[in-house]
Order: sequence, then structure tokens, then C-alpha cells
Amino acid sequence: MASALLFAFSLAFLLPLLWTLRSALLPEGLAYALPPVLGPLTLENFRQVLEGPLGRGFRNSLVVASLVVLLGLPLAAGLGYALARYRLGGHPLRFAVLATQMLPPIVLALPLFALLRTLGLSGSLMALVLSHLAFALPFMAWLLMGFFQSFPREVEEAAHVDGATPLTTFFHVVLPLSVPGLFASGVMGFLFSWNEFLFSLLLSGRETQTIPVALSALVTQRGVLFAQVAAGVVLSVVPVALLARTVDRYLVEGLTLGAVK
Amino acid sequence: MGKSTGLLLALPGLLLLAGVVGLPLLYALYLSLTDYTFLKPSMAFQGLRRYLDALQDPYFRHALALTGIYVGLTVGLTLAFGLLLAVLLHQRLPFRGFHYFAVSLPMLIAPVGVGLIWKMILHPELGILAYLFGGRDFLGDARYALLTLALVDVWQQASFAALVLLAGLRSLPKEPLEAAHVDGATPWQAFWRVTFPLLLPVLGVLLILQVVAEARTYDLVYVLTRGGPGTATDLVSFYIYRKAFLGLDLSGAAAMGYLLLVATLSLTALYYRGLTRA
Repeated sequence: MASALLFAFSLAFLLPLLWTLRSALLPEGLAYALPPVLGPLTLENFRQVLEGPLGRGFRNSLVVASLVVLLGLPLAAGLGYALARYRLGGHPLRFAVLATQMLPPIVLALPLFALLRTLGLSGSLMALVLSHLAFALPFMAWLLMGFFQSFPREVEEAAHVDGATPLTTFFHVVLPLSVPGLFASGVMGFLFSWNEFLFSLLLSGRETQTIPVALSALVTQRGVLFAQVAAGVVLSVVPVALLARTVDRYLVEGLTLGAVK
Repeated sequence: MGKSTGLLLALPGLLLLAGVVGLPLLYALYLSLTDYTFLKPSMAFQGLRRYLDALQDPYFRHALALTGIYVGLTVGLTLAFGLLLAVLLHQRLPFRGFHYFAVSLPMLIAPVGVGLIWKMILHPELGILAYLFGGRDFLGDARYALLTLALVDVWQQASFAALVLLAGLRSLPKEPLEAAHVDGATPWQAFWRVTFPLLLPVLGVLLILQVVAEARTYDLVYVLTRGGPGTATDLVSFYIYRKAFLGLDLSGAAAMGYLLLVATLSLTALYYRGLTRA
């Protein structure tokens, strides 16, 4: 009984995804034939989609998300460590870092749009990186703060006794031992940037569309090319789903901002 | 010495945040006190007039009310389904690996992708679901549109909620449940009298996170309904976006954004209190 119910749930999650995969693998004409038919499977949709705006979106997303992690992670590590060990700024700063992640994106998107336009940055990949960092940086810093708090203090004290300065301790002792935490935060930051939509929609130009923006445009521009839309969705999901598997045990902790371990 | 090291390490990150969060928020506050539109960039000081306008704008009030209904609906269903799923996953049923895999998939998909998957399934002429239900247009009919949008959202969020509650269940102490078992409690009684109360802190955390997430819903609306038909799914984030980029009224949109900000900040404060007490 319980087992049947659980199967019903699993199928409710899987069937829409399998249906999408099926549409992506069928020739355009057969993808939405009703009643459904099965035909020769093909990778043609993936090829077409990758050659169009979605291929460019894929590359842009890869660049933007990588830059968000490369620029954001070192800053987040410093901020997270300062919050965890030095209690810098006390509760008000901690609250500010948490609150930034909970902001409704639209509140920030409007003035950022106006400001970046004034600076002439609107439409550039850098504008996207900066806007994604507004959420990704506090997010990664918060995760790392939790990680550093659970880091054994004795290690730092031992380094101190050996005459290391606090900065040397941080760079040469704490960071090398924190690779799992840094990796998990980096993956979460990458995921966030890869899936982000509102900022990317408002701040990207034709050449700088990220994958969610290119996907959403695929529908309106081409009417109902289901097979291609489906292929696009599959392409956008698979890399991050695989990436997320590498940090499985940090996912829940990360997405609840450390409240549930 | 200690304090200055901390400040040194935090400074680059703080400076960046000041630039991409602090400055834009101040700019939005300034805009909300003026009369700035994209057509007529006037910076005449208006005091709180734009806030009063916003509160009297029937469309904004409609969007707020709609968002309230939407949040109640989605969060309620998400927590209910998530809890049921978590309890099922927590039992030692066969094929656990398979079920865990299936349940954890939706939460990894971008909301835009979720929207597109369901847009194709629900398409009135070409979608498989409409075909099975006799050509009904679930998203194009004002009677069903909000509910359909909410259910698509719940499909994704329940996956996240289930994993969070499962982690919660796994971290509960074993003794109270064993004691209840020894005392002859039925599984049903044991769940509601022992497990559920112990799980309340995790449920509380999830509740606040979900309310904040749902109150910001934008991506799904953009992909699935664009606020329509009519204004049937015109949730507040989407309305503010329309106000700024279709209505070109940046000041009005900024004032509405700030009202929304105050609401989420108070929820964040609750969340923070919960975190620091634990």
C-alpha cells in the first residue's frame, strides 16, 4: 500500500521528464502526434538546437556561471570566515547577509537595470556576472560560514602556537582543509547562476542570452517546435543535474541555508 | 589584531555587495520617492506619494491578493505532499534508491525548464494532458489558470520539501519513538503524537523558506501565462515587472518593490531568530 503510493509519486515526478526526453528524441513531426506514436529516435533536435541561439546560450551560461564561482568563491570564503571566526559585524551583518538572499529579485533587478544601463554595461556578460553575484556571493558566504563554524578550532590554535599569523593560518591551514566545503559552495553557486532567469532576462542582450533566457525565447519565436524546446530543456538540465550529484549530501543543507543538516 | 584580520578578509566581498546590492537598493529607494519614468525622467521629489498610490492601485491590490492565495495554496500543498513523501521515503520500502532519485530530480531543474516541460504537456492542442482530458485549456481558462500554475510549482517544490523533511526525519532521536512503540501506540498515533511534534522546527524552517520563495514567483508566470488570461495569474513580482517595463513607471514599480521587500524582510527576521536560537 505504502509502496504503491510511493511509486505513484515517483511516476508523477518521472513521467513528465520522460515525456520531455521522448519528445526531444523524436523527429519534429512525430514529437507531438496525438495519439502518441513511436518512431525512429534521432539526435537531430539536439544538433539543431545547439547550432541556434541555444548553443550560444549554453556557452554564455557556462562562462557566466564559471565567472560567478571564480570571482565569488574567494570573496565568499573571506567573508564567511570573518563571520564565523571573528564574528565581524555581529548579528546585524549576519542578518544582512541572510536577508540579501531572501530579497525578491524584482526589487533589485529594476535599479540594477537602470544603474548598469547608465554605466553602459547593460547587455554585457559582466553585467550578468555582477547581478548574479548579488545573490550568489551572500549565498556562498553563508554556506561557508556554516562550514567554518564546524571546523575544529584546535587546528587553528595549533597553527597559532607554531607562530603563524591569522592570515597565514587562513590561507595555508584552513583553506586547504576546507576543499570539500569550498567545492560544495562553488557547485551551489554555479547551479544558482545556471538557473537564474529574471536578471538574465533584463540584463542580457541578443548576444549574451543565458540558457534559461534562450529557452524561454525559443517558445515565442518558433511557435510550437516541441521537439526542439524539449531538446533544449534536456540540454539545460543534464549538466547541472550531474554536477549536483557530486554534492548530494550538501544539497539540503545548502538550500535551507544551513538550517537542516 | 583579530578584528582587523576579519575585516581584511571580509572587505572585498563586502565592497562588492555594497556595489551590487546596497547601491541599487538605495537607488531604488530614491526612485520610489520621485516621479521617474523611462519616458519622462523627472527627479522631482514626491515624498511618500508613490507608496500611497501603490496601496490604492486596484491592480496592485489584486496582484497582492492573488499572490496571497497563491502562496497559501502552493505552500500548503508543498508541505502536505512533501511530508507524506518524506515519511514514505523514510520507511524501509523496496527500490529506495530509485525513489530517492525520482524525487530529487525536479528540484534541480531551472523554473524556466519546469515551466516549458508543463507548457508542452498542457498545450491545448498538442499536449498529452489536454489530449487525455478532452482538449481542455488549463492555462488559457481563467477559472483554472492560477490553480494549474500553482500545481506546476508544487510539482517542483514538493521534491525539495520531501528531501528537507527526510533529512529532518533522519536526524530525530530514536528513543521517543521506541518508547511510544513499547507503550503500544499505533503507527498513526506514534506519528502524530511523537514524530510530528519533534519535526515541527524543520517544518517551521521550510514554511518560511517556501513562503518567501513563492512570494517571489516570477519565472513560471513569465513562461506559462504572462499573468493571463486577463489578470488571472498576475502575481506581484510579475505585476511590478510589467509596471516598470511595459508601463515604464520606474518610480511606481520601485515603491511597490519596497513594500514587497518589507514583507520578506520581516519573514527573514523570523527565520534568523529561528536559526540563532537553534
